[in-house]
Amino acid sequence: MANIDAKEYKPQGSTAKSRLSWLWSEYSVIIAFVIIFIASSIMNPRFLDMNNQLNILMQVSIIGIIAMGMTVVMLSGGIDLSVGSVLALAGVISVLALNASGSILVGVFTALLVGSFAGFLNGLMVAKGRIASFIATLGMMAGARSIALYIADGGSVSGEVTGFTAIANSDFWIFDVPVLIFIAMTALVFILMHKTRFGRYVYALGSNEKAALLSAIRVDRIKIGVYTLIGTLVGVAAVIETSRLNSISSSSSGAQYELDAIAAVIIGGTRMTGGRGKIIGTLFGVLILGILNNMMNLMNVSPHLQGFVKGLIIIIAVVFQKRE
Amino acid sequence: MDRQPFLMMQNMEKSFNGVPVLKNVTLEVEKGEIHALLGENGAGKSTLMNLLGGVHQPDGGTIHINGQEVKMANPRVSQEHGISFIHQELNMVSDLRVYENMFLGSELRNRMGFLKVEEMCQKTYEVMAKLGVDIDPKEYVRNLATSYKQLIEISKALLHNSTLIIMDEPTTSLAEHEVNRLFELMRNLKKSGVSIIYISHKLKEIKTVCDRFTVLRDGERVKTGAIEEEDIETITRLMVGKSISQDRFIHEHQFGPVSLEVVNLTSSGLFRNIHFALRQGEVLGFTGLSGDGRTELFESLFGYRKKYSGEVRIHSKSVKIDHPRKAVKAGIGLVPKDRKENAIIKDLSVIHNMSLSSMGHFEKSGFIQDRMERKKFQKYKEMLNIKVHNPRITIDKLSGGNQQKVIIAKWLEVGADILIFDNPTQGIDVGAKQEIYHEIAELAKLGKSVIILSSEAPEVLRICHNINVMYQGEITARFSGDEATEEEIMNYATGSKREAAKIG
Repeated sequence: MANIDAKEYKPQGSTAKSRLSWLWSEYSVIIAFVIIFIASSIMNPRFLDMNNQLNILMQVSIIGIIAMGMTVVMLSGGIDLSVGSVLALAGVISVLALNASGSILVGVFTALLVGSFAGFLNGLMVAKGRIASFIATLGMMAGARSIALYIADGGSVSGEVTGFTAIANSDFWIFDVPVLIFIAMTALVFILMHKTRFGRYVYALGSNEKAALLSAIRVDRIKIGVYTLIGTLVGVAAVIETSRLNSISSSSSGAQYELDAIAAVIIGGTRMTGGRGKIIGTLFGVLILGILNNMMNLMNVSPHLQGFVKGLIIIIAVVFQKRE
Repeated sequence: MDRQPFLMMQNMEKSFNGVPVLKNVTLEVEKGEIHALLGENGAGKSTLMNLLGGVHQPDGGTIHINGQEVKMANPRVSQEHGISFIHQELNMVSDLRVYENMFLGSELRNRMGFLKVEEMCQKTYEVMAKLGVDIDPKEYVRNLATSYKQLIEISKALLHNSTLIIMDEPTTSLAEHEVNRLFELMRNLKKSGVSIIYISHKLKEIKTVCDRFTVLRDGERVKTGAIEEEDIETITRLMVGKSISQDRFIHEHQFGPVSLEVVNLTSSGLFRNIHFALRQGEVLGFTGLSGDGRTELFESLFGYRKKYSGEVRIHSKSVKIDHPRKAVKAGIGLVPKDRKENAIIKDLSVIHNMSLSSMGHFEKSGFIQDRMERKKFQKYKEMLNIKVHNPRITIDKLSGGNQQKVIIAKWLEVGADILIFDNPTQGIDVGAKQEIYHEIAELAKLGKSVIILSSEAPEVLRICHNINVMYQGEITARFSGDEATEEEIMNYATGSKREAAKIG
């Protein structure tokens, strides 16, 4: 029987080469991050400046929070295109609630509520209505944006409560508060995905939905939970976005955020069809995107060309990732 | 050498990641011969065939066809040498029509480059007719039953005028009469000079249709010989390296009270008027041909299908099960058929597959305790003899038998007291099969109620106390396990005999 055992046991540390390829397949995004980080510090001395580093973190925090939710959705085998629109809608409604009530707490809770409710609707459409997530959230993307435009009459709404801007514009030790919120949300999603049964079920469902159902998992509830989770995270992002400039634009806020979030998840190595991927991967995917944006600004690349570079990086990232 | 065999693979060597899979294996196949390639899963059969099919390259050894040395650099080269490989997994494009699948990659075109549809349909029809299959060549493959897909795959090989056909477990999804037709066709092919390498776990089939056999074990050739000179027991012994008894696993003992009672269960188009009762400690078998509705019946009972009428009583309490979750609450577990599609979560580790349906057992204040999972898995690993070094690897890296054991462990952990096994030994080698039978017998001894669904009559005969035979959605006969014979079961399964009066 020793031979049967030997067949299943594939030694991985036997040669330097196989160890290297294992390292690459498991942590390619981290290696890519290190390479890009080193390259950036050589190309531009200002890159390593502490303020610049913190600035990068600040700039990625909103997309980062959304990307965490997007990772969960994509692990479950779905996608959420509505995040940008829902962010604008949650922002607009929360500012109105803030101004009407004069309470920052009410404003924040309104944003979370609107976000999670939109997510819940997405989940309902996907789980109970059996609509493909791409279609369901495409509908939500158009619908949420339209309602935001209608409420704000196509323009921006601004906060009239002092202290609201403090949420996104104060700092704690050396970190801006949005960065801390980003880190906290990352930790939260990480724990949720790796230490609770919800996370286990999401992986199972994304990998093999029928087997998950036959394993007595309430697949529908998990799906609704997944979309509600990303909706809530979008609500959190909406609070930061609104608070940063004390206003939100119904037409342009959140535009294309879904693309950046999905890009970060893909660069982070999560499989498009679900079931495989890591929260840590997305974290580094977000950071890679942040560094690229930052470097292009530092090196005065035309803003019109920045999208091209980003697109190129996404495609290269996917090409280099290990295929099955 | 004055007389060369048609195919000669000599001293084949192959290693994966430094682990030798084939050690100096030689295989000779004569022209017009059906040659059985036997061995347990992992013995090296597939690897050897993949070398022949050009999928992998050998580390050593030579391949001769008709006395000429050939290098199978890729599958295309292999095809050009007249070799067709019918894989166990069907490679069909469901959204294309039958004839489009048949000619995929080698479409017939006229001078303008347009497809010659009618000619392709005609040829498809002719080949199918040889197999006795009557399908419209323009039918979409997605509308066909699995057994037809298998037959299309076989027809495809015939179409290419192959001189050597490799068949890897071709009968797994075929009904008995289709199998017979396939065998007839294989004999015809043989007469016309085509050689066939036949891979199967079903020794009985091999006995009926093959001329010679080669047994591999742990990557080495154990024996090549004429099939009629050996009996099944000897061949089995060669395969597993020890003797395997064909005796019944189940011995009569006292049954407990009725645990599951099904009254008049009906689902239109799938099954109707199903009555049966299951007692504690009983192993109840359901067998029949494909399309008899038994899988659908128990998927309904488990809550995977919701549209059915009738009553289900568990411990004499009427229950309405419309989600697997409710079935589990009621104490029912299901080890489904088609493990890859229905049972294993291939991206989860072995441990996580084991704990998936009973996460509550491994939590403390809402958080999963890895250590508790690991410890529990260790217990099942020893209990069920699951062979895995590192249980953190994903489950798809295990052999079929070990995967199945993990799925069984999953349901044991849930603590279900009614266990349904659908085709429990599908794609599992002989040794692991015995272990799974043994485990099922043990479960019954512990007082669990067990239901076995199987298309193989010998299987239910060996492990069931009582046997139900189904035909077109109805239970047509009921036997006690020690009275039933394979012939009797076949009579009812094919619908040639009915005993409806006795059922009630």
